[in-house]
Amino acid sequence: MLFSYLMPRHKHSQVRVVPQKSRCKHTGTRKLMLKDQPESAITEQPIFQPLDPRVMNLWRLTDGLALAVLLLLLLAGVGIGWWFLPELGLWLVAAWGLLAVGSVVLVLWYPLRAYRAWGFRVTERVLETRSGVWFQRTQLLPLTRLQHVDLERGPLERMFGLASLVLHTAGTHAASLTIPGLEAEYAVRLRDWLVQIGGDDAV
Amino acid sequence: MMQSETQPGQNGQPEWMAGRLHPLTLVFGVWQGLRGLVALLPLFLVGNRWWAVGLGAFLFTGSLITAGLRYFSFRYRLEGGELITEEGVLERKQRHIPLERVQEIRLEQGLLQRLLGVVEARIETASGQGPEATLSVLGRAQAEQLRQAVQAHAAQLPRSPVAAGTPTPEVVRRLSLAELVLAGVTSNHLLSALVIAGTLWNFAEDLLPHNFYEQVARWLGSQVEFLWAQGAATALLVVLLGVLIVLVLGTFFSIAGSIVLFYGFTLTRSGEDLQRRYGLLTERASSLPRRRIQVLAIEETLLRRLCGWAALRADTSGTRQEAQDGRQGRDVLLPLVRRAEVEQLLPVCFPDLAGESAEWRQVSRLAIRRATLKVAVLSLLGVVAWWFRAPGWWALAPLLAIPLSYAINLQSYRHLGYALSERYLRLRRGWLGRTTHIVPVAKVQAVELRQTPFDRRLGLASLYVDTAGQAYTGGGPRLGNLPLAEAQALAQTLAQRAAATVYKG
Repeated sequence: MLFSYLMPRHKHSQVRVVPQKSRCKHTGTRKLMLKDQPESAITEQPIFQPLDPRVMNLWRLTDGLALAVLLLLLLAGVGIGWWFLPELGLWLVAAWGLLAVGSVVLVLWYPLRAYRAWGFRVTERVLETRSGVWFQRTQLLPLTRLQHVDLERGPLERMFGLASLVLHTAGTHAASLTIPGLEAEYAVRLRDWLVQIGGDDAV
Repeated sequence: MMQSETQPGQNGQPEWMAGRLHPLTLVFGVWQGLRGLVALLPLFLVGNRWWAVGLGAFLFTGSLITAGLRYFSFRYRLEGGELITEEGVLERKQRHIPLERVQEIRLEQGLLQRLLGVVEARIETASGQGPEATLSVLGRAQAEQLRQAVQAHAAQLPRSPVAAGTPTPEVVRRLSLAELVLAGVTSNHLLSALVIAGTLWNFAEDLLPHNFYEQVARWLGSQVEFLWAQGAATALLVVLLGVLIVLVLGTFFSIAGSIVLFYGFTLTRSGEDLQRRYGLLTERASSLPRRRIQVLAIEETLLRRLCGWAALRADTSGTRQEAQDGRQGRDVLLPLVRRAEVEQLLPVCFPDLAGESAEWRQVSRLAIRRATLKVAVLSLLGVVAWWFRAPGWWALAPLLAIPLSYAINLQSYRHLGYALSERYLRLRRGWLGRTTHIVPVAKVQAVELRQTPFDRRLGLASLYVDTAGQAYTGGGPRLGNLPLAEAQALAQTLAQRAAATVYKG
């Protein structure tokens, strides 16, 4: 794994350790294995479940691409700046370099923090997610309010064998809740299970 | 003229009915065509007459044909618990609206429609995309029949506590003329002036010349220049006089607006249905099942609070805010009511609220300090900016805002709070103007806790409660500065209780 030295060290005891080496027999891909649980049965958990650790690399890739585009645009700006103000040129390059180094550090380090901040659990028919590094947010969704659930797999997510669940309610300002970075096959089972708990008495 | 046939069911309620639009639909087509012709009048008077006549004939026949096609192609029927509408000539479009999804039925009668005894009916569902079906126009009896059929269907739903049959309507509240005047005086003047302007505009827009706005702008510009030339004192006097005139006119217009809009306002409860009927020129009636209410807001603006009055607003899941809602009075459930009366009226909207009581709880006192700190930082910035422009003791003036904001924040804090009872969450906020939100726990869609870095340092969190339809009650109940543990417990309780209930619209 590319950035394996940045893997979480799990200092919070409540975050479940995800075995790194558990690979699927058939596909050889790593799986999010919920410890002590048979694969077919997902049950309510009082403990927050982490996302699939591969999501960190997905985030590094997407954030990296976005920042790279931004940095390239800025580089063009620096070039133009040098042309018009040659005496400031080196300063501009230095500033750009500093930004670039900062971006690289951010891209490598931030997804780890974001991953550690992410967790979800289901207790008493309520799905609870928490996320956010600086601005933290806990969302609680009574599963009987589920209108429909989308399973999303973008091309990059597919590359990593991941999927996102988007849960929709009839609400207004927080009408949907997204759980990113789930192992693809697990996401399907989780979706079916959530819908089943919710029952069919939603509108 | 009855255009519908019905077959009575077991308990006298029509179970099947079918109909088409009222023949007067054609007359309204002619009327619209005529209105279009008025726009061509200037062209006829000053421009090429033949062009005007040709264009007029074209437009007139166009609107006549549209109305004719609509009348001859539109069908509706009530069948198997669904309202089915069919329209279109070449391409038949069929729309099925399950009656239990109907949120609100609105009937509207303009002046001409009242004279002719016909009604425009709009049927709203939870789709939030505006009216699901518009039936324009129906006979008055037809519309009433449709409304009763939907209501009767709702009464037969298995979960509904009301027995089938036509319930006797009971008047909840009527607004007298004096109350309407009061509502006008204490309302937002500008808005009411817009009501009048809008009404006049409907009649006038076809008659005004095209460059009307340009002329007005030019006139205003020349007046301002003239005044400036006369010296500052005169200018000030004229401005003051102008403000006074605007205030007086504004009050006058808002009283007139309130009377025109809400004349004869009656809120009636008929079984599970809340019915509003109001309007002097255009009469509006809406019928809203009370179990559809997602959030109720008791709104006390400054002027009204001082007089001990309030307004009630309600959101249903279908509501989507539209520009003309305020002008049509759709956004208020009851435009004016004594604050002391509200508590007795609440069970009309929420029948199981009566037996519930809960004590009001406050948020953390840190709220006062935080709000004042924000003002302090801003005023310090103000001092710095002032000092750089003009050094001197006067630059310290912005600091006066700090004690002032402390006093305001202290008062606001005292009136901020929440109360959670078995089935309802209440939140209140505001000092000069106050708002109280009541949310049935069964209508809670999601709960959210947010913590900014500052929140985390102080161990606080903000609570957001999400419900369907927040068009008129001011964007969802929220509460800041809760101690984290309390906020978590409250969020958990709300979500778990909501999960244990069934959400029906």
